[in-house]
Amino acid sequence: MRIVIVGGGQIGSSLARALAATHEVVVIDHAPHVADVFQSMDVEFLPGSGTSEEVLSRAGVQDCEFFVAATGLDEVNIVACALANRLGRPQTICLVSRAEFLDSSGEGGGLRAFGIDRVVWPEAQLASDIERIVTAPGAIDAEVFAGGIVRLLEYRLEAGSPLTATILGSLHLPRGSLIVAVKRGGRIFVPRGTTQLQAGDKVIVMGTPEAMHAVEALVHPGRAGGRLQVTIIGGGDVGFQLAEKLEQAPSLDLRVLESDPDRGAWLAAKLRRTLVLNGDGTDLEFLESENVGRSDVLVSVIDNDERNLLASLLGRQLGVPKVITRVGRNANLRLFERVGIDVAISARGAAVVSILHQITGGTTSLLAVVEHGEARVFELVVAPSFESRQLKDMGTSEDAIVAAILRGNRAVVPRGDDRINAGDRIVVFCTQAAADRVRQYFTRESS
Amino acid sequence: MRYSLVVHVCGVLVRLFGGMFLAPLSVALYYREYHDARGFAVAAFMTLAVGQLMRRAGGTSAEEAVERMRRVEGLAVVSASWLLIAHLAAVPYVWVGVGPIDALFESMSGLTTTGATVFRDFSAFGRGIFFWRSMTQWLGGMGVIALFVAVLPRLAIGGRELFFAEAPGPSEEKVSPQIRRTAALLWRLYAGLTLLLVVALWLAGLSLYDAVCHAMTTLAAGGFSPHPLSIGGYQNPAVEWIIIVFMFIAGANFALQYRALAKRDLNILAADEELRAYTAIVLVAAALLVLALGVGEGVVPTVRTALFQVLSILTTTGYASVDFQLWSEQAKMVLLVLMFIGGCAGSAAGGPKVVRHIVLARFTLQSLRRTLHPRAVLPVKLGGRVVPEPILQVVVVFFLFYLLVFSICAGIVVALGADIVTGLTATIASLGNIGPGFNQVGPMAHYGDLHPVSRVTLTLAMWIGRLEVLTVLVVLRPEVWRSGQWSAEGRHAARESLVGSPPAGA
Repeated sequence: MRIVIVGGGQIGSSLARALAATHEVVVIDHAPHVADVFQSMDVEFLPGSGTSEEVLSRAGVQDCEFFVAATGLDEVNIVACALANRLGRPQTICLVSRAEFLDSSGEGGGLRAFGIDRVVWPEAQLASDIERIVTAPGAIDAEVFAGGIVRLLEYRLEAGSPLTATILGSLHLPRGSLIVAVKRGGRIFVPRGTTQLQAGDKVIVMGTPEAMHAVEALVHPGRAGGRLQVTIIGGGDVGFQLAEKLEQAPSLDLRVLESDPDRGAWLAAKLRRTLVLNGDGTDLEFLESENVGRSDVLVSVIDNDERNLLASLLGRQLGVPKVITRVGRNANLRLFERVGIDVAISARGAAVVSILHQITGGTTSLLAVVEHGEARVFELVVAPSFESRQLKDMGTSEDAIVAAILRGNRAVVPRGDDRINAGDRIVVFCTQAAADRVRQYFTRESS
Repeated sequence: MRYSLVVHVCGVLVRLFGGMFLAPLSVALYYREYHDARGFAVAAFMTLAVGQLMRRAGGTSAEEAVERMRRVEGLAVVSASWLLIAHLAAVPYVWVGVGPIDALFESMSGLTTTGATVFRDFSAFGRGIFFWRSMTQWLGGMGVIALFVAVLPRLAIGGRELFFAEAPGPSEEKVSPQIRRTAALLWRLYAGLTLLLVVALWLAGLSLYDAVCHAMTTLAAGGFSPHPLSIGGYQNPAVEWIIIVFMFIAGANFALQYRALAKRDLNILAADEELRAYTAIVLVAAALLVLALGVGEGVVPTVRTALFQVLSILTTTGYASVDFQLWSEQAKMVLLVLMFIGGCAGSAAGGPKVVRHIVLARFTLQSLRRTLHPRAVLPVKLGGRVVPEPILQVVVVFFLFYLLVFSICAGIVVALGADIVTGLTATIASLGNIGPGFNQVGPMAHYGDLHPVSRVTLTLAMWIGRLEVLTVLVVLRPEVWRSGQWSAEGRHAARESLVGSPPAGA
């Protein structure tokens, strides 16, 4: 299908890269130097303005299915979507950078009048992603799928973790949970019963919510019931929204460090029970005087990569066990994690994932992208022509695993003797490289 | 400050008050108390004359005067007219033979809804006089000036300054953007509730006269009763329960009640922090009182007595269903603490008000937290909104002055021969507009045996307490007077007064 993207910035290019292989993608941007980025991709680049009808017509908006407006200017995005909607009938997705375009439920209510189907505010997306990770003790990534009946948690194993005691086959993990992947030394793979986990490994566990509670208790004992102290450095859009969301969990003690006094006063007025501290998150003396080292989680969401990194590393030095950092430039994501930050996460990345969810819908839908795109989680409906068979007959693979079978509103975490039938809804975990192969195997679609 | 304007507007208000004497006049005539009736007629005539004279003396046309009223002038008008009206309302008492100091005490105690009395022998007075006593409380409960703002179109604009000078809660609360309509709606609610209570008390067995008198003093959180033994004299549990409910209403914010009623939404009440705190205080205090009293006389009567007395003191009504002077010290202590709390802002109750206590408590807590986190941003919030710094300061200053006025008055009363408990409780009962205290001024006793100077002091304390301290104290500042001038035309003293704020409505 045809997808038109206006704006070739980070979000536009990430989207184009992810979609190029399977869809016709046209990118519109008025800056010619942006074109270089798209040279290496199998997409069409049109120089011009996204608010020009003529350019939009040339891009084939009339018969495209998705239209994404991802320039840096909110008003341009809105006008582009409105125009596209007049020229054809695409699903329009509009990126915004300010809260005023969203109504109280976080939807772009008022913008529907312009024919905009979905409003994406990357900062809000990021805030809700961080919220999930903060509230899962010990975990460095957390996702919820299929309306809450399947959860995913990612852990970094410490020395002495109960999971490193013996080979996987004799670990006796809680029923209904499954270790779907291990990341060791830059390589991600699906483990077997004979795999021995080691300290330093990252493991991804999936399962039903009840089982995942048991997993949390197993991997991170002693934390249950205690109060969790969360320190947020930076009270901008993300910091504020994160604090607002986290305030709803009663067992969290929240603090926001904000260097601008006026913004601090605004935050203190808006937030109910968060302690707002007026000071610089990169000031070691200040961090020490406020005992930031005693926090259970440190979230650094300043709008500046260098300062974020500094604040996070200071926090780590002071002994915070879990550090989550916002990254502006996607290229820095892996670097940040390599220097000791547990979770590096970007607003744009969060927005891209959310848009990809919507575009690659149909019988297969992308539920999550984990480890910065190295692995994916799909939900798919098994094709009618699929021959029913037991899992153990499918053979084991290093790069894909069926994580759950969805039956009604219950998830079954399968074992070797469970059957996959035609028409089943299943949740599959696979590496990036195996994604297309897995999809084809179950759905028998060519693309 | 322009005196001509103040004198003129006071004159307008006083003249209007003259009309109020018609009600007790008719009651006196109905009961064939012709001597008393003549007294009301004389008082009415004097009031009208004084009002007319002041109006004339002030000179300026009313529209002009009221439109250009500044805050300090509004405060001066309210302070002065309350004092004047109290004097004029005392005339009928003097007519029936009460000494001038006692007459003023009784009149001020009525208008400020205090309910403290200097009458020794209730049988010495007619029904007209007791009706007038109750009616002064009813007028003072929602505010005389609020009533005039509601009925007098000419006061519509400057009325804003007057309205908030008379009911100076920590925040300005209106039910309509128009002050005249706000005053009218609140008075209508107040009058409607009073009517409801009259019917309820009448059905519960009181005579119509008693029902009217008690309804007026209950809704006003006043506490005068034509019965020498107060509510206790009727020995009627139904009456006590009804009054418990209406005292609770009288001590709650009327503007809030109006909004809840107009929108038919009880959540407005449930969401209000002050009302919740007020309810909690009532319940906790009543529980403590039940514990202190013991349930020897049965659970229901004890609970009823405890609730009645807690509400009577907390809402500063001052009724007594029993002689609490005879209670244990522990039980009396509960009541003493309540005397320093008061009802909700925007109610008929006096005292420092619950909302100020909430703000002060949060301010204190935040100050404590600041020592732990020196760089924390710690706003004081009320109902989810930040209380601005200036209002916070005013609240703190209010408490300081309240305590200052309290200690000075109590000092005078004790120095002039009262015992300490009498002195302290008489002062807080006057300053908080409650009425009865302990010992010599207990619920079944009277203030008549205090030293005359003490009685004058307490009269002033009632006045200062009703106008919430700062209104009166601002007007007493010397710079207000030094910069004063007779009228706007006199240019020799055209400098703004230091406390002068921008013109009304700005």
